[in-house]
Amino acid sequence: MKMQSDLGRVRGLGSAKSGSSHWWAQRVTAAANLPLGLWFIYSILAGHTASFDAVHAWLSSYFHATMMILLVISVAWHFVLGLQVVIEDYVHNRKAEIASLLLIRALTAFMSVAAIISVLRIVFAGA
Amino acid sequence: MTESYKIIDHNYDVVVMGAGGAGLRATLGTVEAGLKTACVTKVFPTRSHTVAAQGGIGASLGNISEDHWQWHMYDTVKGSDWLGDQDAIEYMCRNAVPAVYELEHYGMPFSRTAEGKIYQRPFGGHTRDHGKAPVERACAAADRTGHAMLHTLYQQCLKHKAEFFVEYIAIDLIMDDDGTCRGLVAWDLDTGIMHRFNAKMTILASGGYGRAFFSCTSAHTCTGDGHGMVARAGLGLQDMEFVQFHPTGIYGSGCLITEGARGEGGYLTNSEGERFMERYAPTVKDLASRDVVSRGMAQEIRDGRGVGEHGEYIHLHLEHLGSDVLWERLPGITETAKIFAGVDATKEPIPVLPTVHYNMGGIPTNYKGEVLNPTADDPNRIVPGLMAAGEAACVSVHGANRLGTNSLLDLVVFGRACGMHAAEIVDPKASFKELKASDGQQALDRFDRLRWAKGARPTAEIRLEMQKVMQSNCGVFRTSEILGEGVEKLAKTASTLSDVSVSDRSLIWNSDLVETMELENLMVCAASTMNSAEARHESRGAHAHEDYPKRDDEVWMKHTIAKVAWDNNYGVDLTYRPVNNFTLTDEVEYIEPKERVY
Amino acid sequence: MAEFKLPANSVVQDGKSFSAPANAKNTRKFQIYRYDPDSGDNPRTDTFELDLDACGPMVLDALIKIKNEIDATLTFRRSCREGICGSCAMNIDGRNTLACLKPIEDIDGDVKIYPLPHMPVVKDLVPDLSQPYAQLASIEPWLKADSPTPPDGERLQSREERAKLDGLWECILCFSCSTACPSYWWNSDRYLGPAVLLQAYRWLADSRDEYTGERLDALEDPFRLYRCHTIMNCTNTCPKGLNPALAITEIKKMIAERGA
Repeated sequence: MKMQSDLGRVRGLGSAKSGSSHWWAQRVTAAANLPLGLWFIYSILAGHTASFDAVHAWLSSYFHATMMILLVISVAWHFVLGLQVVIEDYVHNRKAEIASLLLIRALTAFMSVAAIISVLRIVFAGA
Repeated sequence: MTESYKIIDHNYDVVVMGAGGAGLRATLGTVEAGLKTACVTKVFPTRSHTVAAQGGIGASLGNISEDHWQWHMYDTVKGSDWLGDQDAIEYMCRNAVPAVYELEHYGMPFSRTAEGKIYQRPFGGHTRDHGKAPVERACAAADRTGHAMLHTLYQQCLKHKAEFFVEYIAIDLIMDDDGTCRGLVAWDLDTGIMHRFNAKMTILASGGYGRAFFSCTSAHTCTGDGHGMVARAGLGLQDMEFVQFHPTGIYGSGCLITEGARGEGGYLTNSEGERFMERYAPTVKDLASRDVVSRGMAQEIRDGRGVGEHGEYIHLHLEHLGSDVLWERLPGITETAKIFAGVDATKEPIPVLPTVHYNMGGIPTNYKGEVLNPTADDPNRIVPGLMAAGEAACVSVHGANRLGTNSLLDLVVFGRACGMHAAEIVDPKASFKELKASDGQQALDRFDRLRWAKGARPTAEIRLEMQKVMQSNCGVFRTSEILGEGVEKLAKTASTLSDVSVSDRSLIWNSDLVETMELENLMVCAASTMNSAEARHESRGAHAHEDYPKRDDEVWMKHTIAKVAWDNNYGVDLTYRPVNNFTLTDEVEYIEPKERVY
Repeated sequence: MAEFKLPANSVVQDGKSFSAPANAKNTRKFQIYRYDPDSGDNPRTDTFELDLDACGPMVLDALIKIKNEIDATLTFRRSCREGICGSCAMNIDGRNTLACLKPIEDIDGDVKIYPLPHMPVVKDLVPDLSQPYAQLASIEPWLKADSPTPPDGERLQSREERAKLDGLWECILCFSCSTACPSYWWNSDRYLGPAVLLQAYRWLADSRDEYTGERLDALEDPFRLYRCHTIMNCTNTCPKGLNPALAITEIKKMIAERGA
């Protein structure tokens, strides 16, 4: 039974005095995703991903490899920030919330680092 | 069927009933003074009817053109048709200027002049130098001044951590055998629990009773609850015959179009397109005081010059002001006209009709806010422990007719006066006199009686009948015949209150029961209004008696005091009390009565 | 998880039906949510058929007609009947608005009336609003300034400065917006909601207020402020035509500005 006053409950633990960097980062990554995404779509349309060899050749370029790593970072970052909001919105069990936040971050970190290493491997192997 | 109710007892230095402008200002004052205060209100504070005030609050700031509080006082006395008590009027007009500055300092979002000062507009009855020309005296926040003011006062109450009891229905006062008020009993709608507030001072700020009439600008909640409680405590109500008809209620719905609309340059026309107010008030025309304009309009309609298929209304023109001015200074009424009259005010005139708007009468008080129980020997005898302010009270600053903008002013000035005076006479260190077990029993009996009422007539049926009688027999024009018939008809309707039927028995949010309790309060107001009007054989301010078309200062320069026998078919006993023919200080002289021409 | 389904005891059942008088020509059905706290029964929808020729034009007129003539136990808040007090906010025809400003004519078919969504219901159309009221108090909605006020006059404010408050101070606290906001539905215990954030911005935008920094500090919180996902239901539903979503964006911009 909740017997705490409305005001006490509403004030809660007070302001976290944070959240603006999250909000800002979400917008910056969204903005970055736009040119990076266009580049990626263009590359697909241009046939750079038509075959294993084509991809290999494409990502051997310093420029394209850099773009690809930036895309991975930006998308991953944006993805984590966005999913964090979804989880905070809907998962109200504190333990489940923290567990899913950690899981999302771990998975995203693993996949993005793996992606970056793959790109680096192509770049340096091709050199 | 009586059952025992769960009762919670409280001790407070002050209990305020009502959280409109006056109630909040009084609460703020007592809290600031360190008194433990409870504000008991039937609606959340910002829903109170003060919120609907539009045009402005009167104060002689002189931000647009020269002005003095003495001019304001003269206009108020003249507006009141000399029935106002001049000591109280002096108090109000002198304190108007600091009161408005105080509101601004509280953060009220007034509109501004080019110099950054508070914007002021002309208003009916407010003139420069004793009637020479209209003056800009109404301090305005667009056309939502009441909204701005009520929210500001609520914000200040939050700041000072005032204690509110929201959606509590006050049932009755607790009175001692020696006539001292000891607090009140209220019913918490949310839980159904009864609360006895034991208080050293009780302040009634419960508003007017416009809903005693069929068509009014007032909110559904304006039901004269404080009036009813005072009557049931055996006290009298003052000058109840003076009911203000606002010239510009929207035809049909009765929603208010502010006088500020005419202050900004709007005007009225009849079916011939004539600006007829030029005939009734040659100097200030459409900006004469409200009783004059309302009578002018009613006269035009009676003479067959009303607009519309059956000639039943008058046109208010704003379209010549241009849509920029309308949307900047009168956005609220432009919207209201669209919604409730289906009219685009920037292009066409608005159909309007004089509509019940304000009750000059009410609970008699002095300028400090203390409630009076006048006797033949002592017309200024006070009721210990009881104060009143706002529309519920009759100080009397409005006399027989209130000037526009003086209502918001009344609220803050006398709300503040109550707070200050309570701070003077209430000792927060004094221990509380305990209530007896039987204190408040009258309230519980009343509650129980109505809760289980199973008569033949639903509340709404009796209410409608009462409203129709008031509307047709106590209107703008009155005659002995119409009023006499009204007294009879109303007594008949009142007698059926004992046969009322309530169909909801619940203790939680039983709004059927609330409306029935409100109906009892309205009936007190209606009966005292009708009977006081029937007895006053003269015409003064809002009371226009065709059989006695002149003001009669010889006989009638006096306040009516009506005591209503609520337990005996609402019979009314009338006595009279002299008008205060003196001022508060020597700085201004008593304004002698003279003919009232605009 | 957030609840997407009504709990068993909240599932709305069919209630009573009342038909219009036989000679009525212009009839309309009103389906109204009823909840009786005394019985503890599940809520129900009662159907009232009214003769619109004998009824005022607004939904509130219909509710009052029903209460006066058919069922006096029907419970709802109302006061000014002209859209300034904010009492009669409810969900009409799937949209939060004021019953007194909603013409019956604007609605096609049966008129469905529910209390404001996602608030505890006290009785029938009366929701418990104590939480948004407390949230309002929590943002300290009053003028805060340390500079002394002029002893004999008003604080000056230019017309341009005052114009910044337009569209903010007119809010009537009906909470139609907050209770239309999905983000407020899921996190009303921590998210302040559009109505209260509009009020917060009203003080941030006031040139007379001197506590902008402290106010922004108190608002900068992933939940209090940043639960707003610019869904825009608030602005769409506001019966007074205000734009709480814009006010919230302005707050976010102010915080970003001082961080940058």
